[in-house]
Amino acid sequence: MSKFSKGKKRKDPAISTAALPDIVFMLLFFFMVTTVFKEKESKKIVIDKVTIKETVDLEKNVKAAYYWIGKVPGEFTAKGEPLYKTQLDDDLINDNSEIRNYLNKLKKNPEFAQVWDSKFFNVFKVDKKTKMRLVREIQDELKEAEAFKVVYSVQKDKKKK
Amino acid sequence: MAKKEIEEINAGSMADIAFLLLIFFLITTTMNLPQVHEERLPQKSEIEFLLNKTNVLQIQATKTDKIAIEEEFAKLEDIQEAVKEFYVHKVGDRRWPKYIDVTRKVCEDTLVRLDEVLKVYPDAPLYNIERGIWASRLEAVKLIGDFPALPNSATVSIQLDNATSYDIYMQVLDQIMLGLNDLRNELCLEKFGIPFTKLNKKVETDKAKISAIRQVYPKRIMKEKNRSVQ
Repeated sequence: MSKFSKGKKRKDPAISTAALPDIVFMLLFFFMVTTVFKEKESKKIVIDKVTIKETVDLEKNVKAAYYWIGKVPGEFTAKGEPLYKTQLDDDLINDNSEIRNYLNKLKKNPEFAQVWDSKFFNVFKVDKKTKMRLVREIQDELKEAEAFKVVYSVQKDKKKK
Repeated sequence: MAKKEIEEINAGSMADIAFLLLIFFLITTTMNLPQVHEERLPQKSEIEFLLNKTNVLQIQATKTDKIAIEEEFAKLEDIQEAVKEFYVHKVGDRRWPKYIDVTRKVCEDTLVRLDEVLKVYPDAPLYNIERGIWASRLEAVKLIGDFPALPNSATVSIQLDNATSYDIYMQVLDQIMLGLNDLRNELCLEKFGIPFTKLNKKVETDKAKISAIRQVYPKRIMKEKNRSVQ
């Protein structure tokens, strides 16, 4: 029996896993914070967004109705020009008066009625080349339903002025 | 018998490192909110008040996407200067609206007068709006001192053709806002020492500043149908 035993193998100490939850939580928090929910996108309409310099952030936690105006891929007018159509939330609409009916229905819902004038946004996502007539016709419908808050979804031009 | 074991690695500081990283990412990450341009549609009942031509800066966009300012063809970038000139012009310039001198005394006197009218006709909407405007002007005067204000009917008017493209409309709006925000920034730097864009509307004191600046340079844009531009 020597003082320094050589024969017996020592067990490796177990690696501490105490910090594992910390790492996992860190990752979790990181992703929670950085994730921005993808902007709603239309599958039926193609939009080429406008780029401008002065923009504001869209407020968080607002109620909104979405309007897409743009080309329907693969469809053409009788003259062979691209066909522009409007999509309201999830469906293409054929007649603009559907918008009024839709908004009036929303307005009956107390959740919407409470914030109708302050936090109800009409979000427009419009293709660059759309003629203003289309936009205007839809906004006339909004006025009928007394929904006055409009925001235009745009891309920010980050170049220096 | 003394058995020598390798000491367990101390993991106590691991959590600290983790938190350090977490905080680092928290601070450096920016969230990209969707970028928008806000607009308020006019009420249906609003009457057109285009009575006085000097009170209106007219910008027209034709069906071929050309721009005209005050009935003269111009470039997009010219709008910015035109807007600035419209808001800040020499007193007595015949082409542009006459200023209202807003001082503390004028505000208080007007408020007293309006309150008397409102006592008699408590539901008159126009007087109520007017009262709101003068109340905010009084707040503004308290913060930044006397200022000249544009009359209520002074506005930038955009006239569009049905065939004008949406792109041009947004570019025109953008140019107007660029000009307006430039003026606001300048004033804000002068009065409060920080740019207008750095004010945070969630902070109570900043909120008052924002509304004061907005009283001096209000955003007034009117959209209407094209009458006659070729």
